[in-house]
Amino acid sequence: MDHWQYLLVLAACLAITAPLEFFGAGVYRQAWRTAAAVLPVAAAFVAWDAIAVAAHIWTYNPRYVTGWELPGRLPIEELLFFVVIPLCGLLTYNAVNAILARLRRVRTRAEAPRS
Amino acid sequence: MTGLGYTVPAVLAVIAVCVMEFAVLRTGLFRRAAYWFSMAIVVAFQIPVDGWLTKLSAPIVIYDDRHTIGVRFPFDIPVEDFLFWWAMVTAVLLLWERRRLRDRGKKLS
Repeated sequence: MDHWQYLLVLAACLAITAPLEFFGAGVYRQAWRTAAAVLPVAAAFVAWDAIAVAAHIWTYNPRYVTGWELPGRLPIEELLFFVVIPLCGLLTYNAVNAILARLRRVRTRAEAPRS
Repeated sequence: MTGLGYTVPAVLAVIAVCVMEFAVLRTGLFRRAAYWFSMAIVVAFQIPVDGWLTKLSAPIVIYDDRHTIGVRFPFDIPVEDFLFWWAMVTAVLLLWERRRLRDRGKKLS
């Protein structure tokens, strides 16, 4: 079970943020736009990660990862990390934008002169 | 504890993201309240998640202390991680925002 730990942490992040999709225009519903924002950054961070692992700046505890690796000895979990955490960030930003826009509409309506 | 391997690239990543916004993309993201609210929420969730990944009692990610400044807070999170996460999430939000502004411009014209 220990080997699934890193994957389970990432799955929990996705599960907790999933309801945020219901706000505004959503993130998963705009899959192409999401991919265009997430993937270039993920590519840069995967490169950084691979260099850091090669240079022994940080490593992954073999106890808590599945052992499935990408070239460059990167655990598959790391690739998912660079997709999952930005997704959580986008979902948060999408929801906060939607909530602030709603509040603004309510306030404008309340301030509008009644005729 | 030279900080060369992690601290320096983490600071450079933050600078690179700022350059990306101020010199190239100019989305105005940093002037949006929604951005700062979102980042506050992201950091609030980063602490338990990253805290779990980096806890010294059973670490998932193991850092060589010679490459950090050696400050681990809160829990056992190397402070460099906050720069790393900030750069990663902000870069994605910048690309997202650029696309949104571009689409809005198309609709207006």
